[in-house]
Amino acid sequence: MSERSRDIECREAVERLYEYLDRELTPELRAEVERHLNDCAGCFHHFEFERAFLRFLEARARGRGAGPELKRRIIEELFGPEAS
Amino acid sequence: MPLTTEERRRQFEAEALPHLDAVFRYAHALAGDPTRAEDLTQETMFKAFRAWDQFRPGSNARAWLLTILRNTFINEYRRRQHEGDPVDISAIEPHTVFGDVQDVDPEGRFFASIVDDEVLRAIRTLPLDFREVLLLSDVEGLPYGEIAELVGVPVGTVKSRLSRARHALQRQLYDYAVEMGYVKRRVS
Repeated sequence: MSERSRDIECREAVERLYEYLDRELTPELRAEVERHLNDCAGCFHHFEFERAFLRFLEARARGRGAGPELKRRIIEELFGPEAS
Repeated sequence: MPLTTEERRRQFEAEALPHLDAVFRYAHALAGDPTRAEDLTQETMFKAFRAWDQFRPGSNARAWLLTILRNTFINEYRRRQHEGDPVDISAIEPHTVFGDVQDVDPEGRFFASIVDDEVLRAIRTLPLDFREVLLLSDVEGLPYGEIAELVGVPVGTVKSRLSRARHALQRQLYDYAVEMGYVKRRVS
């Protein structure tokens, strides 16, 4: 029996798209998807588009953090006014 | 042996306070408005500090804090039974916008033209179940398993919510980008 894993179709590759990009696939499944992407320009571009979208979200959907005023208030309430 | 006041404080500062920004962002995603998010953040940190002796040092403090936050929010949310979610879940398109843009902007360059406020506004219109997994995954970088545990649903549900949330957000941002002239609508 061949050591190589099986070939997958576009539908299956796209079903696994986010798991692939989120690095949630097992090495075997990851390799299957990668082999498909090497052979299929359509899926390759689709994956690259989604990757760009996720990078965009990571960079731009963060919003602001707690902010210095809230941090100061919390530390003061927890540890007393001299703490902040 | 119970911790001394000084030990509790030192541990809390070292292990819990570094996650304050993540707590606030999750609070904001859950509550929607910044004032409630601040209150929730504050309440979460107080509860965590009071319960600090129950926390096992070296375990996942971020997950612990986010769990306290989520439970606090859910209790309050249930009590209020207020404002329905702004977007109908069943109306969320389960499809990527790649099909719409592959001929005109296959690399999704139009995303870069969208201002941050518009991105955050679009996220806030997603139903709670969807915007929380999106934030936890795409901003905080939590793995599916950790999100599943935090939210209390199977990993498969996290996957499907995440996928629908991303597509719904893509769709909104795409519509906005078309309106603003950042990308041409596909003529079919």
